[in-house]
Amino acid sequence: MRMLAVFEKGERIRHIGHLDIQRSVQRGLRRSGLPVAYSNGFNPHILVTFASALSTGACGRREIMDVTMAAEVSEAEFLEKMNRAMPHEMQLSETRIVDQKHPALMASLRAAQYDLLIRDTEQAEKLTAAISGMMARESVYAMRKTKTAMKECDIKPLIYELTAEGQHIIATLVLTEREACKPGMLLDALAREAGVEEEVRTLITRTGLYGMNEAGELIPLELL
Amino acid sequence: MELNDKIEKVLEKVQKAPRYTGGEMNTVVKAWDECPLHFGFCFPDTYEVGMSHLGMKILYGLINQESWSLCERFFMPWTDMIALMKEEELPLLSMESRRPLSDFDVIGFTLQYEMSFTNILAMMKMGGVPLESRERSEKDPIVVAGGPCAFNPEPLADFIDAFMIGDGEDVMTELNRVILERKEKCMSREECLKNLAKLEGVYVPMLYEVSYHKDGTVAAVTPNCAEAPATVRKRVVVDLNNTYYPTEIPVPYTEIVFDRIMLEIMRGCTRGCRFCQAGILYRPVRERSLEKLINLAEKLQSATGYEEISLSSLSSGDYSCLPELIRELMKKLKEKRVSISLPSLRIDSVLKESLEETQQVKKTSLTFAPEAGTQRMRDVINKGVTEEDLLEKVRDAFEGGWSSVKLYFMSGLPTETDEDLDGIADLARKVVAEYFNVPKPQRAKGLRVTVSVSVFVPKPFTPFQWAAQDTVEENLRKQEHLKQVLNIKGVTFHWHEPYVSFLEACFARGDRRMGRVLRTAYEKGCILDGWNETFRYDLWMEAFQECGLDPAFYANRERPMDEVLPWDHIDCGVTKAFFRQEKEKSERAEVTKDCRKGCNGCGLQRWKGVCAYANAGSV
Repeated sequence: MRMLAVFEKGERIRHIGHLDIQRSVQRGLRRSGLPVAYSNGFNPHILVTFASALSTGACGRREIMDVTMAAEVSEAEFLEKMNRAMPHEMQLSETRIVDQKHPALMASLRAAQYDLLIRDTEQAEKLTAAISGMMARESVYAMRKTKTAMKECDIKPLIYELTAEGQHIIATLVLTEREACKPGMLLDALAREAGVEEEVRTLITRTGLYGMNEAGELIPLELL
Repeated sequence: MELNDKIEKVLEKVQKAPRYTGGEMNTVVKAWDECPLHFGFCFPDTYEVGMSHLGMKILYGLINQESWSLCERFFMPWTDMIALMKEEELPLLSMESRRPLSDFDVIGFTLQYEMSFTNILAMMKMGGVPLESRERSEKDPIVVAGGPCAFNPEPLADFIDAFMIGDGEDVMTELNRVILERKEKCMSREECLKNLAKLEGVYVPMLYEVSYHKDGTVAAVTPNCAEAPATVRKRVVVDLNNTYYPTEIPVPYTEIVFDRIMLEIMRGCTRGCRFCQAGILYRPVRERSLEKLINLAEKLQSATGYEEISLSSLSSGDYSCLPELIRELMKKLKEKRVSISLPSLRIDSVLKESLEETQQVKKTSLTFAPEAGTQRMRDVINKGVTEEDLLEKVRDAFEGGWSSVKLYFMSGLPTETDEDLDGIADLARKVVAEYFNVPKPQRAKGLRVTVSVSVFVPKPFTPFQWAAQDTVEENLRKQEHLKQVLNIKGVTFHWHEPYVSFLEACFARGDRRMGRVLRTAYEKGCILDGWNETFRYDLWMEAFQECGLDPAFYANRERPMDEVLPWDHIDCGVTKAFFRQEKEKSERAEVTKDCRKGCNGCGLQRWKGVCAYANAGSV
């Protein structure tokens, strides 16, 4: 059996990179005493995967891990034991048992929702005011960092939803194995639209990960 | 709120932010106002180095265990962070509750190596604590320090209010109690320091006057008040089994230097290598029991989730029931998939049996420390190891499937000649030959012999404490020589910078005047001297010149036997008479037996019931 668990990456540890988060989860699982399955081979490691790597610097409210278990364990027991074994900044909120055949999270991932807090009030006003204008355009160009250079690309088709609440911009953006609109790209485009030239300081929180049902609706990935 | 915003700003820009963020598993954040005593534990080097240090984990757990005291950690920021903090006017903050160093009642530095000394000044400066004892007012924290470099406290005497000499476990709590009493009774700083001086193992430099001869050598170090003892005797924790050992140790998010469980199986060493200061300072040898260690290992594993455990001590191979210990640990930890490593393996104490058992879980490279290349030289330093011993162990390792071997040596040892250096190459060649003697199908692929040669630094409280260090020029010549003779296929040669070793030698055997040099160098911009990229030899030499002191006076001068040494008022347990005797034996290349084979009368026999191998009858 496999256990899907929703966990948090708290603000204090937002600068921890994905590799370190992975290692921390591995060690948390080892501390928990839960019957987790290990890989074979010379350096066995726990069979745990993540729906999506979260960028260094971003917080995560509903990140998802997928743990292969070596024995049956209840959702409640998993949650309780892991929360005792994980640091304060990485607590779990929900668990769900799925069978071995359940598709890999990464393959089902379609979108992510972000909460972008604009630190500067003036900038926030300008940026939120620019949302409707930007969304009315047919194409929205933003700079995308590739391995070798900066590339311009159209992110309009990658935006599901874009709204604002005070200093927060709430964005639902495409995130799949093949393509993604990163929050930085969105901010870049929005700043251009708003004519904001100076650096925009933000606090980025990924608030949810989504898959898609047969009707084409976005559904929280852990429920799919 | 404003502070948090500044912190956020800085963390967004700094490299390797995780070393500054805190919030790690098993760290303790106590309610500030509910704890009357606040201890700021300072490791004067980067997070990755400090978090690898066992002593800090012990004291962190110990202080936090008491209901009335809390301990928070401070590390030395890297240069980019220092610049950003300056820009934002941020003080040095604790990892736990992000409070400045100056908010703490007592701040404690651990002194692991001399080249971290400028970091102490930098951390105090950034933390808002006046650098020198005489500059501190009633509201400033009491600044304490301990660790191996506290045994010659003089170069830091101006900056540290009280040194803890020897094992820290007992004296730490006693010291905190005195400081708590000061706080409760609004006692003056001076009175508090005098009370601290009454504790065994505590040295308060302010309470001593140093006089010098015309030639710059020390004439005397004498107490200036009744509370200060003429000699400060080091603290010894006699029963390790009943001494605090932490199990819920912090587990960093980011990788650190030693990212594993460290299980201290024993303290001290009975070998008596004549260059080795730790072997003297941590005497007598004390072991933890097998049962205790198994129990600790299991608790540590479940509290940390670490994948690896190392047995830590000066000479793990000497632990009296090592094979049983390893067997038991393997049994208990195998299902948890924890691998066991033996770091400070001594070549004459590894059992073939246990080698095979370690391999069962994970195969790492093996480290041997013959220290010198010829038998004569090894006898001079009392490294009781023969070439035959080494080659036999290497053969066992190669036959057991290892292909990577590290060999540690020193150059510049007293009486050393080029022949002794050539001996290093001979030994390396023989190690390579052992590998090729193992039939090809039986040996592991990829032979790697790493030869590391460090520069000998004469240390206080060793038989070589009077010896001259080779000059930098002579060391460079020796390095060239070694480079040529060590050009052997399959062998990689590593060499340590002689410039750093030269400075180390100055501080290791420095007197109180070295404090001026330290402060001057710091003010010129010297920090993080243990790191190649930040070490500024030129600035150090300028600092010596400006202070009117000659580094060669400290490093390269052979000291006469009747000279008063700057650390003569510290009693490390081993007597000066014993060091003198050992020095004379070394000049005759005469060895001294392991204490386990009979008491050598080093001086610890003076202290009743402290050393298990002491013979009260010996002199």
